[in-house]
Amino acid sequence: MEHLFSATQTALGLLVSGNAELWAIIGISFRVSTTAILIAVLPAVLTAFVLSYARFTGRRLLISLFNTLLSIPAVVIGLSCYVLLSRQGPLGDLHLLFTQTAMVIGQVALCFPMLVAMGHSTFQAADKRAWETARTLGASPLYALLTVMHEVRFGLIAALLAGFGRIIAEVGASMMLGGNILHYTRNIPTAIALETSKGEFAQGIALGMVLLVMAFVLNSSLHYFQGKGQIVG
Amino acid sequence: MQPLSLHDIHKTFGARRVLQGATLELNTGTCCLLTGANGAGKSTLLRICAGLEKPEAGYVDLGAGRIRWKRARRDLQRQSVYLHQQPYMFDSSVRQNLAYALHRHTDKATHQTRIDMALDWAGLTPIAHTWAKQLSGGERQRVALARAWLRSPNIMLLDEPTNNLDEEAKQRTLALLMSLKAQGIGLLIASHENNYFHRLADETLELANGQLTPRTATPHSIGNIVKLTSIRQATL
Repeated sequence: MEHLFSATQTALGLLVSGNAELWAIIGISFRVSTTAILIAVLPAVLTAFVLSYARFTGRRLLISLFNTLLSIPAVVIGLSCYVLLSRQGPLGDLHLLFTQTAMVIGQVALCFPMLVAMGHSTFQAADKRAWETARTLGASPLYALLTVMHEVRFGLIAALLAGFGRIIAEVGASMMLGGNILHYTRNIPTAIALETSKGEFAQGIALGMVLLVMAFVLNSSLHYFQGKGQIVG
Repeated sequence: MQPLSLHDIHKTFGARRVLQGATLELNTGTCCLLTGANGAGKSTLLRICAGLEKPEAGYVDLGAGRIRWKRARRDLQRQSVYLHQQPYMFDSSVRQNLAYALHRHTDKATHQTRIDMALDWAGLTPIAHTWAKQLSGGERQRVALARAWLRSPNIMLLDEPTNNLDEEAKQRTLALLMSLKAQGIGLLIASHENNYFHRLADETLELANGQLTPRTATPHSIGNIVKLTSIRQATL
């Protein structure tokens, strides 16, 4: 217990003192995951919308596929991407393995099905009259889509936060595709895994605190905006 | 001008044949009341008229002869506005809901004036800044009518506009509908409350077994203010 207390104290000290190595790891984590979520969000929302509002052959199969991909472990996604990006793989010539780009690719693959599945549920739960009202009031399909997105914005934001939470905290794909290289591909979860395996808990605890604070801030923001949407009027 | 003409419309849902050769013509400044039992297909017919539902057979003539559904749908959506039985309010204020109907208008300078006029016309000025989702059923109906009015349609398609409203709200809605008709907008109203619309409707059509049949004409149709051609039964 005393050991844990002492490690936590050291962790706080590292965070407050602005430890360069620690903050570099945090920076890499946020840069990679933010890039991944920004790349994934637009195609994911459009896919979710098409799956909810369009009728075409194979639609149900696609929905089942995305729901299945939702539960695939990060390490399996990492393995699949590794096979594609390794020297012998079809994309080996691009020399992307053990780079931040490879980590971004892995995280996009990880969060895309999640954003689609959650976005689809959100659009499915939306009142279909929103789309019809927009169209009957002269909105183009694109404008009507933006209108429906505005109507279900809290569900979409929740999907976005859940997706971001998943990729910033995953260790399997980042470890396999990034290689955990200090100052280049070492992010929060891979650093925690490494430091813990070395018995150096302080840095691991400090990085864990950052993840906890981030989760708290994101969830509080969501609740704040949801509350604002209901109160105003 | 004849803004709406549907011929030999067929529509099925699963094994249920909802429309079986319905033909309808509606002129501007006329009002047609569509009656029928629950589930008779009144809403489906309105939704086809609005371009929201595709018929399996039949065609739409909007003055340029028989056209493909894709173009017909675009034209129908351009010149009509469909109002749901329970109108949908966007998650914004009453004023912003009305502004939505003007989002394609290029003349932004007149937006506020037009919105003010619509608010005044529908008696919504006191609640212009109220959140639309918090309104009562009657107020929502008036917002929906004002919003539709701002779109300047040739025709309005109303699905049970007085359903679940109290007496006062019904009378206010009716007054607005009369005003719309007087402005030359064609009205197609699906309702089972015939009594409320007898002063407004020029023709009453009954939808039963997928087919439209004219009921007794109201005095208006004799005056020929409105010309709503009755219904031709298409051969199956």
